[in-house]
This record gives sequence, C-alpha cells and structure tokens, in this order.
Amino acid sequence: MNADGQIAGLKNGIAAGGKPDPRAEGLVASYERAGYRRLFPAMLQPAEPFLDLSGEDIRRRMFLTTAPSGEEFCLRPDLTIPVSLDYLQSGQAGRAQGYCYLGPVFRHRAGTSGEVMQAGIESFGRSDTTAADAEMLALGLEAVTQYGLTKPDVQIGDVALFSAMVAALDVAPAWKRRLIKDFNRKSNLAQDLNRLVLGGSNERPEYQGVLAALAGSDPKGAHALVTDLLSIAGISAVGGRSVGEIADRFLEQATLGASAKLPREMRAVIEKFLAIAGEPDEAAAALRALAAEAKLDLGGALDLFESRIGFLAARGIDVGALRFATAFSRGFDYYSGFLFEITDPSRTGDPLVAGGRYDALLSRLGSTQPIPAVGFSVWVERLAIYGSAS
Amino acid sequence: MSGPFVIAVPAKGRLQDNAEKFFARAGLALIKPRGARDYRGAIAGLDGVEVAYLSASEITGQLAQGAVHMGVTGEDLVREMMPDVDARVVLVTGLGFGFANVVVAVPQAWIDVRTMADVDDVATAFRHHHGRKMRVATKYVNLTRNFFSQNGVIDYRIVESAGATEGAPAAGTAEMIVDITTTGATLAANALKIVEDGTILRSQANLVASRAAAWGEREREIARIILDRIAAQGRAGAFREVRARFAACDNALVSEAEQRFGVETPFGGPTSSGMLTLHCPPDEVYALTAFLRDKGAEAVAVADLDYVFSRENPLFARLAERLA
Repeated sequence: MNADGQIAGLKNGIAAGGKPDPRAEGLVASYERAGYRRLFPAMLQPAEPFLDLSGEDIRRRMFLTTAPSGEEFCLRPDLTIPVSLDYLQSGQAGRAQGYCYLGPVFRHRAGTSGEVMQAGIESFGRSDTTAADAEMLALGLEAVTQYGLTKPDVQIGDVALFSAMVAALDVAPAWKRRLIKDFNRKSNLAQDLNRLVLGGSNERPEYQGVLAALAGSDPKGAHALVTDLLSIAGISAVGGRSVGEIADRFLEQATLGASAKLPREMRAVIEKFLAIAGEPDEAAAALRALAAEAKLDLGGALDLFESRIGFLAARGIDVGALRFATAFSRGFDYYSGFLFEITDPSRTGDPLVAGGRYDALLSRLGSTQPIPAVGFSVWVERLAIYGSAS
Repeated sequence: MSGPFVIAVPAKGRLQDNAEKFFARAGLALIKPRGARDYRGAIAGLDGVEVAYLSASEITGQLAQGAVHMGVTGEDLVREMMPDVDARVVLVTGLGFGFANVVVAVPQAWIDVRTMADVDDVATAFRHHHGRKMRVATKYVNLTRNFFSQNGVIDYRIVESAGATEGAPAAGTAEMIVDITTTGATLAANALKIVEDGTILRSQANLVASRAAAWGEREREIARIILDRIAAQGRAGAFREVRARFAACDNALVSEAEQRFGVETPFGGPTSSGMLTLHCPPDEVYALTAFLRDKGAEAVAVADLDYVFSRENPLFARLAERLA
C-alpha cells in the first residue's frame, strides 16, 4: 500500500468512528507488551482541570458544553490530564504505574476537523526519575522509527536547570516569579531580557515616599505597621488575598525601590546561561563552568542532568546527536524537568512526538502526596505519511 | 419583493430615550403607528423602513447574523460578542451617548497594585501561595481574555457573572473584576479601584451596520438617506454659524481665521460686498467674534445650525466602501 492510500484509509476510518490506522494500534500494543496498561479515558471530561492547568487561553480552542446542572464539560483537549485523573482515582495513586493510550483529542483549529489522534504514555510514581526520563525518550524514538523515520531531529531541554539557576540568583522574589513565568511561556526569553522590567510604569509610584521610608527598616516592624494600617481601615481579607499577603508584596516593592530593571550583572548571568546549547555533554561542562564562575549553586539539577545523559547512552541513544538547549521550553507551565520534542526538519517542523516531566501536576489535580510523573504524546496522523519500517 | 429595511433600536431605558432623541434631532422621528407597547415601529416620512425594538444584546446578535441592517448598540457588546468584528459589521459612527468604559478593577485594599504589571505579578504569586488561580468575575469573557493575554497575565480564571459583578470580591466569589463603569461611583461604593492601565475599552452607543444583511440598491438608498441626515445633523452640532459684513474682509483674513479658530467656509470666501459666513467650533466662537470686530466688523451674528447638508456623505461613503 502506498502512503496516499494509508492516509485516505486512515481519514475515512476516523470520520466513520472506526479504528485508527493499524500501525498506531501496533504501536500501543507494543507499549502494552512493555508493561504499560492501556486506558480508555472518557471523551467528555470536566472542563475545570484543563482551564485551571492550561489557562483561560485554552478556552477558545476547547469544545465546551454545559450540563443541565450548570457544570462545564469539554471534549478532552489532551490525554495527559484524563489519564492522570484516572490514575488518581484507581487506588494505585502513589504507586509506580505506567499507562498507555490511543484515541482522539479535540482542539479547535480553523480549517481542520478539530479532532486529532494521539497515542502516548504516562508514567507515574517512579522514583528513579532520570532513568524514567531516558526511557520516555527511547520509546518516543522507537515510535518514529517504527513509522519509518530514521533520522528525526531531537530537541531536549530541562526546566529544572532554569529553575535552579533562578533560585540561586541573588534577586528579589518578584524577579524570580517573573523569570520562571516568562521562561515557561516564551521561547524567546533571551531577546526579551532587555525589555524585562517590573512594574511596567515609569511614573513615580503613588506611595514612593512611604516606600522609601520603609526601605531598610526592620522588616518585621514594617510588616506589622502595614498590617495594622490595613486593619485600621477595616480590611481583613478582600478578594481572597490576606492582609499579610498584601503587606508582604507592598514591602517587596519597597525593597525593589526605583530600580524596576533587572540588575545588569544578573542579566548577564541569565544571558550566558540561556546561550548554552548544543551536545548534552558539552552543555553540561559549560553549565558547570558557568556555575563555578558566577558562584551559582545549581543544587542537584546538574547532577540529575548528567545522570540522565548516562541513562540515555545506556539505552543506546546517540547522545551526541541530541540537540540540547537551556532555553528550550514547550509553553506549558506544568513541566518541571526533562523535556523533549521529536520533529522532522525536512517537513513542517510540527512535533511528531513530544513530552516531558511534570512532577507538580498530580498535586495540582488534588493528590495529597507529591507524585513524580513523566510522559509523551505521539501525533500518529503526522507520522502516517512515512512509509512502513517493515 | 424583498423585506423591509430593518433598523434596531434599544427597547427600553435611557438608551431608548437617547436613541429616539438622536434620530429625532436628525429629522428621523421614530413612530409607533400601532401604539406605544408595540415592538415594531417606523420612521415618519421614510417608507420601507421598519424599526425593531430589541434589547442591546439582541441587537448585537441580529447584526452579527444579518437579521437587521442597522442597529444602535454599545461598542462594548459588539467587541465582546463578535470575535471577528470587522468581518461582520461596520461601526458607522459613535452617537455621543451611552458612554462607559470596560475596566479592570481590584479591591482598594490592594495597595501594592496599580498597574496591569502588578496584576500579572500578583496573579502568579497568588497561585503559588494559594494553590489555585485568581478569579476574575466578568460578563466580558472575550474582552477580558484578550486584554489579559496582551498584558501577559496567565494565572487567572474567569468566573462568568451576569449581574452585580462589582459585588463579587466582597462576596468571596472572585478576587477581582472586569466590568463596565461610567463614573466609577459603583466601583468605589464596593471598595474597588480601577487599575491605571486597565481600561480595556472606551465605549459609547454606536450606529452599527451589518455586513451580512441584504444590501440591494433599495437598502443602500435608504441607508444613504438616513446617514445623510445623521451626518448633516452631526456637522450642524459641531459648529455655530458666524456671519459678518465689513469692507476689510478678504481672503487673507479668512485663512488666518481658519488657522487660528478652525473655522470652515461652507460658501467660500467673502463676497464682493464683504459678506462672510463662517462655521466655527462652539468653543472658539467668542474669540472669533473678537477677532472679526478687531479687524473692522461692526456687528457679528452667531446662530445655531439645525442641519448642514453637504454634497459629500462621509458616513455613507464609509459604509459603502466596507459593504463592497
């Protein structure tokens, strides 16, 4: 069968609600043989977790509906959250368990049917995190090989390195929040650093005099003063923020003072950090050098990064062919560590396989204990254009 | 035989009063031949026009679908309800009433928040601190989402609110709001303040034309007549007529008056006998009369204008261009 025939058959199958392409079924069957339990999460999902985790912006791409009771539901826009929710309700929560899936996800995109087939794996509760990371990339690479793409482009990154670098910087908490947020949302943070300012306004702050007077005073006393002033005004908690929270941030502004610009030497360090890219081994060496030079304690993040490289090599992956970049992010703020994206540079560059580590997600979905998690998705329709490996 | 030309007007309240006054000033009296409780009316002396009395949000919906040709509604509703405004309607002209701003407002107690950059930072800090996202109560879901996205704010959730939005923070159902305000008094009464750069839209009632409605020659002709009258009235309202006659009146004097007072000369420069008619913005009228007397005018007459019809019809020209 030629490639065109495959596509036509595949599309018809989906339109008729039939089984997707047999190679995708074969792929998931291989995951099941590897010990991943297949899940069939509900198509119709409560909308809340998706909106909460992906942000309001996703609303315009979701297919939403309202139950007679008023509760909002959606056609699942991804499978990571549904699989995570099923795992949390399975009684296995906290234990090491891996799942695989194959099915449609629904996202509005002008000019398309809005329905996309995805296969994938989610692995929960494994404490050998770097080994699990390496296994995910190995399985993702196997998927594209099975479809007949032998020389894909593999981009990898590690959000934990950036977080560790920001944590080690000697800057105000407001800067740390801002940097982490921008890193997760923007691919061009490096170019953005010049314009990065806090407050956004060049005017004199309304309370500049008070802030100046408070700056440098005993933090505890200043906090008590502001809290008292708010209390005198009869304010306890308005709009969910406590008086303490308001006072904290008010004083934080005081310590930042007039300098709304990121300190120059900090910017230089961040820029050097974000410029590190290339072969993973060389990048690790460059990161060690930068950490020593700028006296940044990157904690265990760098050790984990190197340990992961070891596991990748042990799985037979040509580590030198992976393209690592410290600046690589996938635009979702729930990723917390290793990230990867497999593309075909000779075609559109749309991801064929993409995934990463999201250790904070299960807590945000209601788990009382932190549960490590890592996984990836395969766009099986994008892969269907390649000839069969056999 | 095609249906009537339908123009939709708000069915109740101050918007209806203002809309009726507006049309009346333009010489287009809205009448209800079958009694005041009827929801269908007509325009006196203009055949083939039906006036539909609807709520402002219904008008906006009908404009989007092309069920009415023109309508009076707030720009806020148009921009909220139509993601593709320019593809669906033409905002022909602001009507000078129904002024209101769509704004971002936070509790006054948030003394650390003045700008959208503060809102952004507070939202992120709120999520870290409380493990959930900050809630924004509003009925302007789309305007809010676009504005927050432009300002890089991501850590928030929208809570849809059909009414009494400004009470949401005090009631504990939201942290902040996006709402419409005219004077800010209701916001202040609910201990809320407007974020400095948080004005999403300065809105007023607009005359809006639907691009999807049937626009045959007859409909275009009716629109041309209506807009001709509205433009004539609009221009009349923007000027006072100033007349004088004196010998020293010449073209050099007229061009000086044009530069200094922004006057227009609807009938050209002074006649051979020195008779001059100027149209002058109301604020400049006194200064202009002083100038003319200084130059030798014995008497200067100033009068209000009812209509100024000109050969051009800029409102219709704009509409015709966008309908093409």
